Amino acid sequence: MSTEEPKIGVFICHCGSNIAGVIDIPQLVEYTATLPNVVVAEDYRYMCSDPGQDLIRERAREKGLNRVVVAACSPTLHEPTFRRVLESMGLNPFFFDMSNIREHCSWVHTHEEEAALEKAKDLVRMAVARAAELEPLVQKEVDVKASVLVVGAGIAGIQAALDIADAGYKVYLVEKEPSIGGHMAQLDKTFPTLDCSSCILTPKMSLIGQHPNIELLTYSEVREVDGFVGNFKVKVERKPRFVIEDKCTACADCLEVCPVNVPDEFNTGLGWRKAIYIPFAQAVPNAYIIDTEHCLGMTPIACGKCKDSCEAEAIDYEMKPEILELDIGAIIVTTGFKLFNAMEQLEYGYGKYPDVMTNLEMERMLSAAGPTDGKIIRPSSMKKPKDIAYIQCVGSRNERYNNYCSRVCCMAALKQARQIREKYPDINVTIFYIDMRAFGKGYEEFYESTSREYGVTFVRGRVAEVRGSFDSDRIVIRAEDTLLGQPVEAEADIVVLSCGIQAAENQGDLARVLGIQLSADGFFLEAHPKLRPVETNTDGIFIAGAAQGPKDIPDSVAQAKGAAASALTMVTAGRVKVQPYAAVVNEELCAGCGICEASCPYGAVKVVDNVAQVTEAQCKGCGTCAAACPNEAIAPQHFTMDQIIAQLDALFQEAR
Amino acid sequence: MIDRRIINGSKIDSELADDMTKAGIDRIRSCIQCGTCTGACPSGRRTAMRTRQLIRKALLGFREEVLSDPDLWVCTTCGTCTERCPRKIDVTEAILYLRNLACQEGYMRPEHRAVSVKLIETGHAVPIDDEKWSKMREDLGLSPLPPTVHSYPKAVKEIQHIIKKTGFDKLINYKEGKEDDKT
Repeated sequence: MSTEEPKIGVFICHCGSNIAGVIDIPQLVEYTATLPNVVVAEDYRYMCSDPGQDLIRERAREKGLNRVVVAACSPTLHEPTFRRVLESMGLNPFFFDMSNIREHCSWVHTHEEEAALEKAKDLVRMAVARAAELEPLVQKEVDVKASVLVVGAGIAGIQAALDIADAGYKVYLVEKEPSIGGHMAQLDKTFPTLDCSSCILTPKMSLIGQHPNIELLTYSEVREVDGFVGNFKVKVERKPRFVIEDKCTACADCLEVCPVNVPDEFNTGLGWRKAIYIPFAQAVPNAYIIDTEHCLGMTPIACGKCKDSCEAEAIDYEMKPEILELDIGAIIVTTGFKLFNAMEQLEYGYGKYPDVMTNLEMERMLSAAGPTDGKIIRPSSMKKPKDIAYIQCVGSRNERYNNYCSRVCCMAALKQARQIREKYPDINVTIFYIDMRAFGKGYEEFYESTSREYGVTFVRGRVAEVRGSFDSDRIVIRAEDTLLGQPVEAEADIVVLSCGIQAAENQGDLARVLGIQLSADGFFLEAHPKLRPVETNTDGIFIAGAAQGPKDIPDSVAQAKGAAASALTMVTAGRVKVQPYAAVVNEELCAGCGICEASCPYGAVKVVDNVAQVTEAQCKGCGTCAAACPNEAIAPQHFTMDQIIAQLDALFQEAR
Repeated sequence: MIDRRIINGSKIDSELADDMTKAGIDRIRSCIQCGTCTGACPSGRRTAMRTRQLIRKALLGFREEVLSDPDLWVCTTCGTCTERCPRKIDVTEAILYLRNLACQEGYMRPEHRAVSVKLIETGHAVPIDDEKWSKMREDLGLSPLPPTVHSYPKAVKEIQHIIKKTGFDKLINYKEGKEDDKT
């Protein structure tokens, strides 16, 4: 307990007109001066500015302040700023409280000036009451393990892993699928430069496979994440591939004997693979895998032909799932996206008409390594089409499915249209769109040249429905040419649905395992949309790529590099500050009942020898234990019972 | 035909859109003019109805133009536009709102008015006013007139009473005794 008499300085910020435009500042200052322990009550246009900070320092010197309250914006913005001010004066930075009269008051009560003033008085009075009860605290530092876990090995994960490994730190790269590469490996060419996707991706993939600092764990999933920033304990499950990666030479002898044919996922079901397979030619690791769901049975009685044919003796039917325990300093999550399921949008007839396909299916068809060797054919007749129509915004910009713009489909459609026209100048391509969004570097130019040089037709109108033609085997699409104000009925041989991007399957489960949050659209939530775009609200966990929101390749790579830099900042520093909010136990009052241990969401409390013990760095100071403890024997620091009661007393005290 | 008219910017007015929003068509301002409603409209396949343009004119506040548009009346209220609108706008409800407003502001179609006059005068929108209807009923073994106002002519007064109380007669600008039966 601090015995010093509290001398509180309250500094009220105008925030330009953000606060002063609504709340009567002179009246608030006058009121504040009457509150107990308040020695200084002053206002200033921008408290966070250098002159604002100097004002606090000056007054503190003059009046001998030992507590400071700033009534301004949210503490998430400027609490660190003002704590530094206190530190610079030799005051403990935790003798500070912030009263949020902007987000919690002036912004939400713009049209109720009088009520806003009363609420501001309440908020300031509460902060002053709490300030009198504040205790000095010491911010601690913890060591950071020199290793980074990257979850998901699409282009974002690959880039992040390479950057960190190149900086000399250990990377564990976990990928759920049997090969790394993600969606980018499925693409034929990439906009706007038309680089061959494999040509720019596979060098990076093979670097991953060979990098001495990268431990690649494919066909593996993160099952448990324990611990805290700098010191995560991660359990990763390696599922059995039944083929020993190091021994497999990818000779394909097993393929010839495997009797099972399965639709090939890599080719979006447009081709076939065996039950023992390699996802694609450049897969890393370049090793086969047995798909147990379709394998006839890995015993000589059921089948066992692949094992007999394997000269390298790489096939091991006895392989078991394995749990690896990793010590990790920082985590980067790059789990990518899932394509919108076009079956959901019934009026477009996907799944009903074989010639209605997704943009990814068209991409595989365009690929020289794809199921048709790069030829474009109608799935229903296996013949060359005459007219191809693109429908944009399938599942995107739609209140019924995903209301965001998927950001890549306009450019992907332009790129495919151009490729089709390049290969087959006699095939007509029409793109039905709502708005053509070509916003990236070089994108507008690509749009311009695609329409000018490649003879692609654009109709501004969202397609209302797709049906089979009554008098041919073609497909009819109906829309309105909104620029002419006339309905259009167009026949096509192939309709390509520009399916949008949505959060990956099980993204919510992974968020729970990692202890990070999702935004309303199902993607991972960043700590701040502009200024902390790769951080999450959990220290030490970063996000990048389409797992954070729809993103094209350039943006995914840029964000991955940002996440890698952020993780490296922590790992190279080797130490990280943690807030001293951890719960403390009054051992005399603790009865060892264990309610706190059961209620702690972070596993930070354990009862040892009948007394609760808190792992400080693991505790987030949430206060759940304090609320649950029947003896008031445990409470987080900086949010003590006394401080909260003082705030409540001030709140319910009759307003003057 | 080329329309040479120029939209006068000062005629753009958000009052109609505000009223529609308040009346429960609360998403109307989020319209992106994608044309799904027009493209999906079964009536629009047979007629000149262009749903998107009606909404567009309403959003711009071109009151007279939209309320006097005969296309407003060819919607069958099937709801396909509402079902497919990517902005979840209740397009059908918007059409009904505009129709109500059109009637209130005197843009009722003569056909609808004629039916309304019939209702006031006979108690039926489609009365049995021709012998052949009675004949048909008799052929089916029914009484020549149904047990409605046709069988109870005094009840017409009650219906007219209700119609006056609700103001329906004023809505259609009904002039007692001066209505030409042939309109």
